[in-house]
Amino acid sequence: MRSLDRIVAIASNTLREAIRSRVLYTLLFFALALIGTGVLLSTLSYVERERILQDVAFAAIRVFSVAIAVFVGIGLIHKEVDRRTIFTILSKPIARSEFLLGKYCGLLATLWLQIAVMGLGFALVSLAAGAPLGPAHAAALAGIAAEVAVVVAIALFFSAFTSPMLASLFTAGLWLVGHLTRDLRSLGAQSGVAGVQHVTEWIYRGLPDLDAFDLTLQAAHQLPIATSDLVLPLAYGLGWVALALVAASWIFERRDFR
Amino acid sequence: MSRVVVNVEDLTKDFRTGLGLRSKRVLRGVSFAVRDGEIFGFVGPNGAGKTTTLKILMGLIRASSGRASVLGHDVRETEFRRHVGFLPEAPYFYDYLTGREFLDFYARVCGVPRARRRARIETLLEWVGLTAAGAARLRTYSKGMLQRVGIAQALVHDPQVVFLDEPMSGLDPIGRKEIRDLIRRLQVEGKTVFMNTHILSDVEMLCDRVAIIVQGEIRFEGSAHALLADDERDAEVVLTGVSPALAEILSDRFGDGMRGVGERVEIGVPQKRVGELLAEALATGAQVVSVAPRRASLESIFLSAVGRGGRR
Repeated sequence: MRSLDRIVAIASNTLREAIRSRVLYTLLFFALALIGTGVLLSTLSYVERERILQDVAFAAIRVFSVAIAVFVGIGLIHKEVDRRTIFTILSKPIARSEFLLGKYCGLLATLWLQIAVMGLGFALVSLAAGAPLGPAHAAALAGIAAEVAVVVAIALFFSAFTSPMLASLFTAGLWLVGHLTRDLRSLGAQSGVAGVQHVTEWIYRGLPDLDAFDLTLQAAHQLPIATSDLVLPLAYGLGWVALALVAASWIFERRDFR
Repeated sequence: MSRVVVNVEDLTKDFRTGLGLRSKRVLRGVSFAVRDGEIFGFVGPNGAGKTTTLKILMGLIRASSGRASVLGHDVRETEFRRHVGFLPEAPYFYDYLTGREFLDFYARVCGVPRARRRARIETLLEWVGLTAAGAARLRTYSKGMLQRVGIAQALVHDPQVVFLDEPMSGLDPIGRKEIRDLIRRLQVEGKTVFMNTHILSDVEMLCDRVAIIVQGEIRFEGSAHALLADDERDAEVVLTGVSPALAEILSDRFGDGMRGVGERVEIGVPQKRVGELLAEALATGAQVVSVAPRRASLESIFLSAVGRGGRR
């Protein structure tokens, strides 16, 4: 129970720092502005205006959430070390893994709060434009939230042992690759070469498949979403989060803070 | 003899440099002990290994070899830290928090129950003279105020042992006195204080025992009195009404340390010769203005400690 209290203390402090930071408000403003521009873009088309509006809005939510996840995530630990605030915290009765988990939960809470605000903006714009809204849209937002959870964990993993610059490059790179692994596996399967199939299959298994969290297509086309369509990706994401955090903790435990 | 609360045995630390291919040894078999209830000064010049030793004790750095324990627990453990407080050198705190929020955060991390938290925070703010500033954000605090709220965070869970890294560094005279008073109060309250410093006057005014570390090696460990009460220290004698005849005698006998001519002279003499000088001066009608020990510099004490050839 004490461990949970300590994690909550770190998480709530991280959330409070974000809430009192102007940078995140600026990013949130731009994201909401971009969602709003979906209305303008949709007027350029005679067909499927509502779909264009919602596609632009979902893309804005995803890109801004992931960008914040990468660039705030990689600075989470580095900032604590650079400012030396980590010295006073780790000298307290708190395990390094608890500190790491607290920072992770704090940033994730911040991002989920932002996704909720952006989701509200999305709903308001959709209602104003007369676009349909349903459970599929909520599921698509949950998918983005799950993807962000994985990206933050990966950012934290890289920031546990490398510089912010390299950590941001690695995380952004892995995010891009994570959206390509499924296509890569398909290409491998179509190649008909056993060796290529084998390699692309292992790349697919060894790297996160971030397309698994993308339910925006179903939302845009108002397709029904089964429970398994949502639960399986969430479980898959949880697995990746656990793996990244355990690896980050293992490295973080062995680190010297000079 | 009181129990040992901090015990360091044969500690070494090597830091990897140059892409990890080379290593630099910064601690070389460091050993010392701190006893219950004392103010212990860990003294050394910059780069001597003081902060590295302290960070090993705080679990921030792992020793390459040797053993370190606090209150009988290996420093790599976590739970015993609820009995330990720490103020790092030139601390930076979360400046978006107010003083109260800041202390509340550390109290939560330390597991102070909610029922006791508020009272403890108010007591500490009053203790460090920041009650009125408790609602202000830390970014508005002066350096002295930050140092004081830093001490408050080190005490928020009422620890038995408090570690302070250069607590007076960068403070003005008033700020230094405030921190000195706080440290004395900690001792009165029965806490053990371990203090890193390179300022000899702090050691002289506060510490019961000291260890001197030079280039990663302990050169002296013992009572502060033994370190500072050096028989070979000089005294400064100031005389007025010095006659030309006396001036000539003094010049012959103590010429090397003599400054000024005529009515007022200042003479530096070894303490064991002060009596001889005063007898001569008084016999010829001179007046004694002052006799004061001449404070040895930390550097000279370091050199002296090094010259003694190892630990004693």
